[in-house]
Amino acid sequence: MDTPRWRVTADPDTVERDLSRLVLTLVELVRQLVERQCVRRMEQGNLTDEQIEVLGVTLMRLEGAMTDLCERFDLAPEDLNLDLGPLGTLLPTQ
Amino acid sequence: MPDLTYLYAVAREPLPCPPGVAGAPVRTVTCSGLVAYVSSVPLEQFGEEPLRRSLEDLDWLAETARAHHRVVDAVAAATTTAPVRLVTVYGDDAQVAELLERRAAAFAEVLAHVTGRREWGVKAYSSPQEEPVNAGEGHGGGRACEGDRQASRPGTAYLQHRRATLRGREQARRQALQRADHIHRALTALAAAGHRHRAQDPRLSGRDDVMLLNGAYLVDEAREEEFAARAGELGGDGVEIRLTGPWAPYSFTVMEPA
Amino acid sequence: MRRDVVACEQLPPERVALVDLLDRLLAGGVVVTGDLVLSIADIDLVHISLRTLLVSADELEGSL
Repeated sequence: MDTPRWRVTADPDTVERDLSRLVLTLVELVRQLVERQCVRRMEQGNLTDEQIEVLGVTLMRLEGAMTDLCERFDLAPEDLNLDLGPLGTLLPTQ
Repeated sequence: MPDLTYLYAVAREPLPCPPGVAGAPVRTVTCSGLVAYVSSVPLEQFGEEPLRRSLEDLDWLAETARAHHRVVDAVAAATTTAPVRLVTVYGDDAQVAELLERRAAAFAEVLAHVTGRREWGVKAYSSPQEEPVNAGEGHGGGRACEGDRQASRPGTAYLQHRRATLRGREQARRQALQRADHIHRALTALAAAGHRHRAQDPRLSGRDDVMLLNGAYLVDEAREEEFAARAGELGGDGVEIRLTGPWAPYSFTVMEPA
Repeated sequence: MRRDVVACEQLPPERVALVDLLDRLLAGGVVVTGDLVLSIADIDLVHISLRTLLVSADELEGSL
């Protein structure tokens, strides 16, 4: 009788990497939330052209900084997530 | 240690079937015109505490689920059957007999509901599409740049691009949900009953596209071809349909609590 | 039937996908409570730990 073979992955992360992953995940969450909020306010017409430009540049730099940090800690974008079990994942998986 | 009695399914006829969970042979308990298919299983594997641990072992779960299904599938192929949920364990056969007597009417209702019908699974997946660019944002494909304005207002261009991406995804998601509802309603109309299961965890299904629908349908045997044809027609335009079955009527055996 | 978008899987019981089986066995089937030793309904399935397991599509395809 055949049963499917399931590979067990040993967890290779050190405590330090786990911690940086957790911290960066939370930073990424905040970044995505702020970005969505800005987009919403831009659509609603609540921001001046100057404000849009300043916020856009800031968010753009923040995205760049996140990419750099991920590289520094050898983390792929998909690594930045938290599994909340039945609630799914913290961040969207796209 | 005394064995426990594991219950697989309830039908009206005793039939031979393959061995079940933990390799145990399957036998029947008859009462009130009903036949329960059971095995004796060891307490040290199926008692409450060991079971909690076993259920976290996917190998154990897979083996037990397949053994359970082998029995239910064999019985359901030969006679009208009410499958019982995985791991339903009684103290002994006498308790099973007492169950049949006490809930005879409810079991009869379930069996009547599934007579002459089989369950079919229909799963719909959203095929990966290229990221739609918001039509109002400029030319097709790539970043929504506005020529040399981008150089002077990069922050604005960035936010506009983010907006196009986010709104595009939302629209796609909404359309996908509507499509799933449409498919489910169309198939339920051809069936005696329809039921939506939760979308499958991609870590278990091994698929990285989005599951729109995980449906189960109780279909009259006479309408199976019509049903399968309709399921096929409902695919296309970025939606993949997978039909599985026939299944024993697992998804349609809800009984009112005693 | 449009064969390019539809796959019909009529498989013998040993070959049905485990994930499809678990959908039905864990959330379907008659649930009888009261006067019995144990039912899966009593056990908190949320604790089934998938975190430590990795499945690839190839493995599922190849599993017999």
